[in-house]
Amino acid sequence: MKNRILIVDDSFYMRTMLKNMLTDAGYEVVGEAANGQQALEMASATKPDLITLDVILPDNTGLDVLKGIRQEQPDVKVVMCSAVGQEVIVNEALESGATAYIVKPFSEEKVLEIVGSALQNADSGSTEA
Amino acid sequence: MKSREQEYREIFMAEALEYYDAMSRHISELEKDPADEKALNELFRLMHNLKANARAMGHSDIGEVAHRMETIFGLIRSKERAFEGSLVPVLFTGVDTLGSMIRAVGEGEKTANADPLLANLERLVNGEEPVFEEDPDLASDEDATRKLELSDLVYIQIKKLDHLLNLVGELIIDRDRILTLSQEIGNPALQSTAAHLFRIADDLQYSVMDARLVNVGSLFNKFPRVVRDVATAEQKDVELAILGQDIQIDRNILQIITDALLHLVRNAIGHGLETPEVRVKAGKTAEGHLTLSAQTERDDVLIQVIDDGRGIDVESVRKKAVERGLTTAEAARNLDADAVRAFLFEPGFSMAKEVTDISGRGVGLDVVKLAIDSLGGQLRVDSVLGQGTTFSLVLPTSIAVKGALLFEIADRSYAIPLMHTDSVVSLWPDEMHVIGGVLLARVLHENIPVVNLHDLLNSSEDGVLPTANKGSLVGRQDIIIVNYNNRKLGLIVDRFLRQQDIVIKPMSKPLDMIDLFGGVTLLGSGQVCLVLDVPALTRLFLAKRP
Repeated sequence: MKNRILIVDDSFYMRTMLKNMLTDAGYEVVGEAANGQQALEMASATKPDLITLDVILPDNTGLDVLKGIRQEQPDVKVVMCSAVGQEVIVNEALESGATAYIVKPFSEEKVLEIVGSALQNADSGSTEA
Repeated sequence: MKSREQEYREIFMAEALEYYDAMSRHISELEKDPADEKALNELFRLMHNLKANARAMGHSDIGEVAHRMETIFGLIRSKERAFEGSLVPVLFTGVDTLGSMIRAVGEGEKTANADPLLANLERLVNGEEPVFEEDPDLASDEDATRKLELSDLVYIQIKKLDHLLNLVGELIIDRDRILTLSQEIGNPALQSTAAHLFRIADDLQYSVMDARLVNVGSLFNKFPRVVRDVATAEQKDVELAILGQDIQIDRNILQIITDALLHLVRNAIGHGLETPEVRVKAGKTAEGHLTLSAQTERDDVLIQVIDDGRGIDVESVRKKAVERGLTTAEAARNLDADAVRAFLFEPGFSMAKEVTDISGRGVGLDVVKLAIDSLGGQLRVDSVLGQGTTFSLVLPTSIAVKGALLFEIADRSYAIPLMHTDSVVSLWPDEMHVIGGVLLARVLHENIPVVNLHDLLNSSEDGVLPTANKGSLVGRQDIIIVNYNNRKLGLIVDRFLRQQDIVIKPMSKPLDMIDLFGGVTLLGSGQVCLVLDVPALTRLFLAKRP
């Protein structure tokens, strides 16, 4: 079974890049959310295996979204996406239960490596990506 | 198929331009209210996104400017810096620089050197005073006259939608033809298929039209910055209100009226609104009020530019119209205020006593008028001396389909767009009078010149129309009252047919030289129907009246 991924980013450009990278690598992208509200709704509607979560969102911070998702789905893997300069938030996110983080601008290899290992830890060996 | 790089480039550009628009808007908001946290957070987020996207695209220079801007907005957010003093012009320059860098990337040009700006941003981060190479006031003057641009991308190129819309137009014409044929043939199966085709094509047409709609806000939101810059250059105090941003309109219509709206706004600030001193003396608030509003009016969109400035002095317009030879002194005396104000839209007519930097250059109101005419829209001006002026633009929501009135002259069908028809009346000859060789009808307390459309269309190239003769009229006359630029004109036709939505196809060369006809449409009967152009028709009548 393909691993199912939800992308959360307020930039259409970033979402498109991530979607292409992940789809090309054989993952199923189950949704794209552009803000925190959409992210929470789609996370609970699509029940993904992994969420890529942008740190800065228009309505609330990625941190709030992370906490909201964690309450409902303790097992989902969350990879925080941030740019340089958000180290403080990233640290706090890792303490609040984020699985891993990627720093923008990211390369395809880096994204696949981090997403792959985050999922690997989930259910050892059963993923195909 | 499009390469992925190209797709990324297009998305990056569309989004970057959107970010730039939003940045311009939010920084003006922040200037007005430095405590506006929402604007500040948005600026921070937009800089952050632009930085990340630009770096991913390899535009490290844009990324660098956005990064330092983000840092400063971050410092303002954490109250380590305040949005005041010398920091403000640097950040405005920063937003402008990002705008021109993004545009340069879009044009495939090299981005300009941003080192002085980067150095100033660095100074601000370190808590030092920025260094200005030139007087910052001079720079803002240049900003005030720049052009606005709408993004060409709605994530799908508009030309693709244009093509789709043209195809739908062709389809509708064939559909109407098939429907008529099926009724003539009388085969029930064919009739029901034709009826189904009718509904599907209708659905398709509205879906395509719908896909082309954008919010008026996408243009309106560019104005806070324009108003700020023009007001600064003109030394006026202006408070802008924007209403009806969510009203939807065809993207190409919005594009066509962009320059017109820009001109009306510059005009309102330059000539309409008074300086604070003058306003206070006149018992008004020191700051002038400018409103941009959009609302739907039946099937049309009404856009208004309203100011509470000095208003238009009808008497001086009347005098000037005579001086310019646009009318005779005698005729001018009898014109009502609406008709006099209509002279403002005549080519070359300008009321500005002195040519100012802002509104004195480029287009005049006549060009605004032409832009609205080309869309089949209406432009009106209302004004109360001393209280203000309102320019109203009535625009179709969509360019594809127009409501039209169909009628016959000499057994041929013609159409007139409903946008320009005021009313339709049937009058007996003795309800009309001949004055000065022109037939006049009294309709709703108004004397309206009436002309036989057949005579007008068939009049010789340079001759005047024959003197009206009531005796030639037999029985009730069907008259269409058209309205163009506050001038009403009655057109006698042989017979009214019906009202119908039509798809207007432009005339092909060399027939497109005939401006009397705005285009043709094909009726369900297969008959070609000429669509009359009311502005050209009105001008022809004025030129040929006896």
